[in-house]
Amino acid sequence: MPVVLARIDDRFIHGQVTVGWSRKLQPDAIILCNDSIAADPWQSRVYASSVPPQMKVSILDRESTARLLAPGGFRDRSENIILLVGSPEDMHDLQRRGLGLAEVNVGGMHYVKGKQELLEFVYVDRPDLQALRALQADGVHLVAQTVPGGKAIELDAELLAEMEEAL
Amino acid sequence: MIKGLVITHGDVGRELVRVAEMILGPVEGLAGLTNAGKSVQDLTAEIGDRLADAPEGTLLFIDDFGGSCSNAAQLALAGRGGDVILTGVNLAMLLDFATWRESMSTGELARRLVEKGRDAIAALGPGRED
Repeated sequence: MPVVLARIDDRFIHGQVTVGWSRKLQPDAIILCNDSIAADPWQSRVYASSVPPQMKVSILDRESTARLLAPGGFRDRSENIILLVGSPEDMHDLQRRGLGLAEVNVGGMHYVKGKQELLEFVYVDRPDLQALRALQADGVHLVAQTVPGGKAIELDAELLAEMEEAL
Repeated sequence: MIKGLVITHGDVGRELVRVAEMILGPVEGLAGLTNAGKSVQDLTAEIGDRLADAPEGTLLFIDDFGGSCSNAAQLALAGRGGDVILTGVNLAMLLDFATWRESMSTGELARRLVEKGRDAIAALGPGRED
């Protein structure tokens, strides 16, 4: 079950994913991984209804996602997956559970109180930065990009270190 | 009187309201709201704040189904009853909303606006027969 895009995006399922990235990557399914949405049938239904009908969608907690996507899990190699999480912490948690991701797309971390601007569409606090740095230390290539063809900015060690000092 | 909130990407919503008011004069209880720079959580909270002053039976217009605006609008309606979300907002719908909202129930008005919004979409010009 190849993950063709592993994306951090607090809007989860929206046009940039279901139109922008899906047109380019032609995924068979989207996995939205978030513990609180997965535990809430109403929120799950709202997000699931936003996926175009030809695409499958699963809304799972971190444990189920890791079980499905980690080596030795329930993998079906014929399907291309877009994996969506809402925070760097969640992505790091999945990676620690053995996802083996080589690249992570930072697609949207919007402003909430207490966060500082790293890029126009990426706001971070200390836990965010720590998780991003941990992913990077694990050899994951971090690329900030909202849509295919849009400006791609590599979040390298230097940039993250500078940001951490500025916080 | 039925209230309306136009929730869209960019400034589409606020501009649609502005243009509707250019045509009709001030439309009380109709406001635009953008998703720009907001997480779904914050947008949901903001819609919730606007709805706190609005009676149940408010119309929420959004530009596109299946995005942050429609997700936030649906999440904001948890625990309320009688409101309706209309997708694909256009100018004709807002003009008709302002004209008919005092003489219909929210459900009736919503069904009427779906029809009027669709009727407003047409292909014109010689190329349409190609």
